[in-house]
Amino acid sequence: MLAPFVRGAPVEWLLDPAADPWHKTRAERLAMTGTPLVLQPTAAIRAAWTGKHIGAVEKVEIAALHNGEVLAFRLEWADGSENRDPNDTTAFSDAAAVLFPVVDGAPAISMGGPKLPVNAWYWRGDSDAQGRQVVAEGIGTSRTVDVSLVHTHGVWKDGRWRVVIARALRVQSSEPVVQLDAGSGAHFAVAVWEGSHRERGGIKAFSGAEWRSLSLAPVGGKA
Amino acid sequence: MSKRQLAMVFDLNKCLGCQTCTIACKRLWTREEGMEYMWWATVNTMPGRGTPRDWEQSGGGFRDGVAQAGRLPTKEDFGDAWEFNHEEVFFGGKGDSAYLKIQGQEPDWGPNWDEDQGAGEYPNSYYFYLPRICNHCTHPACLEACPRKAIIKREEDGIVLIDEDRCRGYRFCMEACPYKKIYFNQVKKVSQKCIFCFPRVEQGVAPACARQCPGRVRFVGYKDDPNGPIWKLVEKWKVALPLHPEFGTEPNVYYVPPLSPPRFDAAGNIDESKPRIPDEYLVSLFGPKVLEALAVLKAEMAKTRAGGKSELLDVLIAYEWKSMFGGFDKDPASIEWKKV
Repeated sequence: MLAPFVRGAPVEWLLDPAADPWHKTRAERLAMTGTPLVLQPTAAIRAAWTGKHIGAVEKVEIAALHNGEVLAFRLEWADGSENRDPNDTTAFSDAAAVLFPVVDGAPAISMGGPKLPVNAWYWRGDSDAQGRQVVAEGIGTSRTVDVSLVHTHGVWKDGRWRVVIARALRVQSSEPVVQLDAGSGAHFAVAVWEGSHRERGGIKAFSGAEWRSLSLAPVGGKA
Repeated sequence: MSKRQLAMVFDLNKCLGCQTCTIACKRLWTREEGMEYMWWATVNTMPGRGTPRDWEQSGGGFRDGVAQAGRLPTKEDFGDAWEFNHEEVFFGGKGDSAYLKIQGQEPDWGPNWDEDQGAGEYPNSYYFYLPRICNHCTHPACLEACPRKAIIKREEDGIVLIDEDRCRGYRFCMEACPYKKIYFNQVKKVSQKCIFCFPRVEQGVAPACARQCPGRVRFVGYKDDPNGPIWKLVEKWKVALPLHPEFGTEPNVYYVPPLSPPRFDAAGNIDESKPRIPDEYLVSLFGPKVLEALAVLKAEMAKTRAGGKSELLDVLIAYEWKSMFGGFDKDPASIEWKKV
């Protein structure tokens, strides 16, 4: 997938999933699959989800662009219910994330591994504007490293979520987070949690074990 | 396993269902926004559906060491937090006409909803009160269920706590806890529960529910302290038992089971052959050892009736109030509390 360069587009603008620059991108369709039951991190979760379908969202359309400083993804998927603030103890928020390997060889399917960190940019419907930067080094190790560097905004309309997740290409962080450059390549994966299906944590739909390729157009380059 | 374990014993023969413990806890810990429906300490009539509704049938815990699927109770199952017309009654200038009314839809469930209903047919009807808090289990299902390692069991005293910075409100812990003593805070979006009043305990003060109990029901202390009440009641005299031991979490709250009055027969005569509270019901709550515990209690009572002395009954009666707290008997008013 190509992330075209859009000169001078402020982040606030990119965060609007209906904004003009997004018309210049070509969305790619990702087939999603449920995370395997055996890879859920605790026995209680495996017991609770035995015999249940994991991964309610089956496909996501994804597009990306950058302005030389910030890389933004727009994820779009069909969802009959807008689940934002959980209004009951049994209600969960819709959520989505883009995952990057921080080092070569970090596996997507197991959220990285020891000394093989992965970095997620995470959006959740109950805290729409406050994205999270998450680092994991294997199943059950996810931790939030900051709640300030990832910018997010989701709009639910006509049975579809359109969610933008953005972060500066390079960030100051002592944590193992991905650093990106215009004009170069990257790998990513996508996950979506369907709140009405009680998906949260490792219970989610993801774009599969294979990383997807992303090339960031050079600054000044054409889409 | 923790080095030491704090525990409580609740003497069900003394609990009056006054809810002072419930309110002591509420006033101290669950007054913030998002906590309205939370009652970390509850008292319910048994037999009954309990709080949250039907928690005993909600799964979770372990069977033969294997984690079991559990159910998430709804806010309504917990009883939710009813809205009242406080403003109108207290400040509306209608003190002699307005009265407290629930606002909005009439609820059909609440905490302690089935108070004093109990079971059995008159004149052999029966009930007792069952106070509950988090059991600070030795094998906590909540801790093991959490994928984020947000729940810890403290090395020094076995208190089980949720780290709200790590918690992301997934509620796998709520599903897994077979006692359904974990609550979800919709405002902070984290799970919360009884903390065994650890800030008090660290200063040598017993938990609020125990210290405020007017019935001297709640004993506190380390399980391995031979001078404390817990060791005496649980280990030495074996009259205090965990609730639903078959859930496999090894709770650290123990109960002295309720003795019952005799039954009346069809002619209205006292029938001493069977207790009012059926043995099988108590066995279903506390396991088969409950019958031995009741036998010990009866034997010790008979001994004192005959003029003898009983260490067990002395402990249970708690002549000396402070003796109930296993050394955690400092007056909270004597401490300068700092809010952190």
